[in-house]
Amino acid sequence: MKIVVTVKLVPDTNAVKRIDPATKRLVRTGVETVINPFDEYAIEAALALKEKLGGDTTVTIFTMAAESGKEVVRKALAMGADDAVMLSDAGLEGSDVWASAYAMAQALKKIGFDLIICGALAEDGNTGGLPNALSEYLGVPALTNARHIEISDAKVKAQRETDSGYQVVTGALPMLMTVTMAVGEPRYASLKGIMGAKRKTTAVMALSELGLEKAVGTGGAKTEVVEIAARPARGKARVEEAADGPAGAKIIFDFLKERKLL
Amino acid sequence: MTRNVIIFVEHKAGHTRKVTFELATEARALADQIGGRALAVALGNGASTVAQALGKYPLDEIHISEDPDVDRFLLDPTVDYLEAVARSAGPSIVLVGNTMMGRDVAGRIAARLQAGLTSDVTGIRVEGARVECIAPKLGGNTITTCAFKEAPYGVVTIRPNAFAAASLETGAQVVQIAKPAGKSYALTIEAEVEEASDEMGLEEAPVVIAGGRGLGGPEPFDTLLKPLAQALGGTVGASRAAADAGWVPYSLQIGQTGKVVSPQLYLCAGISGAIQHKVGMQTAGTIVAINKDGSVPIGEFADLLVVGDAFKILPELTQLVQESKAAHA
Ligand SMILES: Cc1cc2nc3c(=O)[nH]c(=O)nc-3n(C[C@H](O)[C@H](O)[C@H](O)COP(=O)(O)OP(=O)(O)OC[C@H]3O[C@@H](n4cnc5c(N)ncnc54)[C@H](O)[C@@H]3O)c2cc1C
Ligand SMILES: Cc1cc2nc3c(=O)[nH]c(=O)nc-3n(C[C@H](O)[C@H](O)[C@H](O)COP(=O)(O)OP(=O)(O)OC[C@H]3O[C@@H](n4cnc5c(N)ncnc54)[C@H](O)[C@@H]3O)c2cc1C
Repeated sequence: MKIVVTVKLVPDTNAVKRIDPATKRLVRTGVETVINPFDEYAIEAALALKEKLGGDTTVTIFTMAAESGKEVVRKALAMGADDAVMLSDAGLEGSDVWASAYAMAQALKKIGFDLIICGALAEDGNTGGLPNALSEYLGVPALTNARHIEISDAKVKAQRETDSGYQVVTGALPMLMTVTMAVGEPRYASLKGIMGAKRKTTAVMALSELGLEKAVGTGGAKTEVVEIAARPARGKARVEEAADGPAGAKIIFDFLKERKLL
Repeated sequence: MTRNVIIFVEHKAGHTRKVTFELATEARALADQIGGRALAVALGNGASTVAQALGKYPLDEIHISEDPDVDRFLLDPTVDYLEAVARSAGPSIVLVGNTMMGRDVAGRIAARLQAGLTSDVTGIRVEGARVECIAPKLGGNTITTCAFKEAPYGVVTIRPNAFAAASLETGAQVVQIAKPAGKSYALTIEAEVEEASDEMGLEEAPVVIAGGRGLGGPEPFDTLLKPLAQALGGTVGASRAAADAGWVPYSLQIGQTGKVVSPQLYLCAGISGAIQHKVGMQTAGTIVAINKDGSVPIGEFADLLVVGDAFKILPELTQLVQESKAAHA
């Protein structure tokens, strides 16, 4: 079975993020880039399945990102993935969800897959729309927010987390999944994994190899950022020491009244 | 170009999620600006009950189907029905709540309709013929305004609690949707299991009372936070430390890898305010923190930090609030 994990490379949470006022795009150079936190769980889910299923199960990392992200991709390989493919092309800059999903779908068709595992949300764009759009373009079902994934004979059973609990969902491969944190904490790369990653291949794919029928990048995007502004940061808190329980409660109670929240 | 506005209704067996009423109210305002009609789509078991509740909002038409396939198969029938309404309505803006379910529906229907997607939107304005969506991005530090380019459809996910819901009865017409023909459904929902009470969605609650590692175990969530949440008309949330410890389900986690909330009041106890937590709650109206340490990061962005023991303060606060509510009742 061939599992492909989609991994987005995002600026580190603690990095100061900036949007270029000219291009109105997130500045991705000069900031530390990491694997999107949710995608670490997607990798973990894939590696756990590989261990469980054994045999000829392989895990391929797929990312649409600038080639400079190769080092970050290697971290995913060090965790235990078999190989990686990067879709890297200047023509993709400015792609929105629609254009990204379209280009990624064509690349994934070329790579081939039985199961695609995505994170549920990317930390930067944060639409959560990409995996769903991808499933539409690929014509495969999307089992979203999955955990406790069981696969045998190309049949899939998983729990799908909802706001109030979960659903038990069944279906058949090929399919696409997004996973939640309940699939288990992402493993650390072992020293052996880190050494081994150097020998694993990361293929780079260009748009010209995909034979796209629709425009991607800024020209193909269906949305356009027209304005960006920094949100004024919240100020420091008024700090009050509470002598005891009743005193602390009174401070908060009065504050809520003052703010007309009571 | 005249365009209609279509809202996707999220409900559970006829119990409508609050964000739907916010969508309905905004749909009317937007439809009036772009010269179209405001429609709603409610699907599955309980759709006709939903249509009644929505009848109090200023919509033109409420399209429903109670086809059991909607609840038997994951998402595919839902997207097919929504597509059918969108195609028959013609050029439209589709509004969906930015919830777990809403994000799935929005991504699918956007690709299906070859539409752009703007997400987590807190404001919509019309500039000439263009619809522009305002959304906090990058953990709430940046506000972006994103416009749809010229295309028949556009899809918007709306942040719960960002738009007001105002009822106004206009006598919406209820329309049955014909079952889309020739469809097959790939994923079967075998069972539905409830783990947490879903009385009020976390993202939709006007008041969130959250607890963290400082509460030391699961009990205080029930004995200290819940009564205060009830007294203030809100619900309980948590930090990741509390969810990871298994004290509460992950569905209550707030932050970068949890839910993003913007209630009027966010009150937390025993939470330090790590950046991954901050990005999930910093757009709240008022933030109050109780912490026994006066130098925690949450002091950098809360409105009020009370330095003291949460176990002593919370019960007293609950009592004050209850007494005050009783006095005004
Ligand atoms: C601040 C900001 C705001 C944006 N707002 C919008 C917007 O409103 N509308 C819009 O159409 N686009 C928007 N974009 C662009 C959008 O981020 C990209 O098009 C992106 O490729 C997909 O969307 P996402 O980041 O929302 O991913 P999500 O849908 O949140 O990501 C879910 C999962 O999809 C996979 N995935 C996503 N992107 C990639 C990738 N490049 N490579 C591999 N896997 C991936 C990952 O597994 C990820 O966990 C925005 C970008 C930024 C930086
Ligand atoms: C990739 C990634 C994603 C993450 N996503 C999230 C996320 O979505 N949400 C999230 O919350 N975190 C997230 N985190 C974790 C985050 O970094 C913090 O570890 C976490 O928020 C800490 O939770 P806490 O504040 O409850 O615990 P702590 O930081 O341990 O704080 C506990 C606080 O309780 C106080 N306290 C103790 N006893 C009392 C008492 N009796 N009365 C009052 N106060 C008391 C202490 O002074 C302390 O400040 C993420 C981390 C990573 C790396």
